[in-house]
Amino acid sequence: MAIPTSLLHYSGHSHLRQRLVLSVLSGKPLKIDKIRPNDSNPGLRDYEVSLLRLLEKVTNGTVIEISLTGTAILVKPGIIAGGPVIHDCPLSRSMGYFLEPVIMLAPFSKKPLNLTLRGITTDEKDLSVDLIRTVTLPHLELFGVSDGLELRIKKRGAQPLGGGEVQFLCPIVKQVKTLNFVEAGKIKRIRGIAHAVRVSPQFSNRMIEACRSVVNRYIPDVYLYSDVYKGEDSGKSPGYALSLLAESTTSALHCAEAVSRPGVAPEDVALEASRLLLSEIQRGGCVDRKHQPLILLLMVLGSEDVGRCRMSSPTERTVQFLRDVRDAFGTSFKITPADKTNSSSTDLLYSCYGTGYINANRTIA
Amino acid sequence: AKDFISSSRPARRDWTKLIYSSDLSPRAIISSSSLDPQAADDDTPDDDDDFFRPMKAGKSAEKDEEAPDMSKLAIDEEELKGWDDEEMLDSIRHLFITGGNAPGDTN
Repeated sequence: MAIPTSLLHYSGHSHLRQRLVLSVLSGKPLKIDKIRPNDSNPGLRDYEVSLLRLLEKVTNGTVIEISLTGTAILVKPGIIAGGPVIHDCPLSRSMGYFLEPVIMLAPFSKKPLNLTLRGITTDEKDLSVDLIRTVTLPHLELFGVSDGLELRIKKRGAQPLGGGEVQFLCPIVKQVKTLNFVEAGKIKRIRGIAHAVRVSPQFSNRMIEACRSVVNRYIPDVYLYSDVYKGEDSGKSPGYALSLLAESTTSALHCAEAVSRPGVAPEDVALEASRLLLSEIQRGGCVDRKHQPLILLLMVLGSEDVGRCRMSSPTERTVQFLRDVRDAFGTSFKITPADKTNSSSTDLLYSCYGTGYINANRTIA
Repeated sequence: AKDFISSSRPARRDWTKLIYSSDLSPRAIISSSSLDPQAADDDTPDDDDDFFRPMKAGKSAEKDEEAPDMSKLAIDEEELKGWDDEEMLDSIRHLFITGGNAPGDTN
């Protein structure tokens, strides 16, 4: 495509994932320098290199140049190809780190993506595969990406040795729908998944018990599922976690999660998850804070109409994302208080004019 | 004390302006909006002596390293402790279908 492109130029290692995604979607080359220049171990980390390799597999024609010292990279994006891809994630980050950017790209591939990832399924840094399956994917459905969208958790893998495996299937779309999501509604149910691998299966039940002690006071519709994986399917390391989600009457989703740490009882892990969920619910809005960038990105890519969404105040990541989106697509959001009459509400209304992004990679049927 | 009152009852912030037409780092924007005045102080430029700047740059890089590109938010222990309190637990009851209307809600 002979579209005149301008270079996206950033410094530093932070926000690498969102910048790669924006580069690929906008077709603009990306240059990042000063990647940990003063660190005792300068340059890219193994998981960042692995992410670049995954990007190469998912796309076609992407040229990635890494400087000798690893402190600078230049990415010339190709088209998003999709199709079957298998990737082994390093044990330094969980699959969530790799899945999140892929989810942003996958709906715009040439062929439906069928991605198999191996590695750690849950950690405390990124969204676990449970949250991605139960919360992130329903967010995509808001934009019309739905038929055949699936994440299968075949094996679980806890830190540090992993051994988990998931399969992510994503359909392709021509264009995403404009979002208009301004009614947060009220929380009508709470769901959760407790899993414990290579430890006593009682741990799941203890987490469920402790979580109920916090959330049962609010609503009776609480269903916490104990997910059992046995033998080979339970990975190589012991671990357990509780993932929770709250759904409102307008299908707004809020989620939280806590993961086992050495010396922390299952009850305490469950309490942490439950309280994180309450904090998230308290912040309000239609979208969970961890999913703000995903929603904002899809709003920018929506058809040429005004998309609106009510959310709580932006996180650090979101602020940088909004700035990066403006660099890549020239779109800025209008952010206004959602409730002009109620001064105690801190909810904000994010609105933008979609760019009418068309999936040009799609095979014409 | 006056500072504390003004920071704990923040005026409506113009997010559009803060995000698009200021040079503040995301961390500075967020921390000045948080209710913790200590956090806001952290980011006020310290113009004691320009000579020591390189050291400070090194320090902030170190800080960045501790917070890598992650999508889960750092856990605020203080905030979680707050949920021990019955009053706090009851304060969000109106957000559930079983909870009725909020005290300030006219609808």
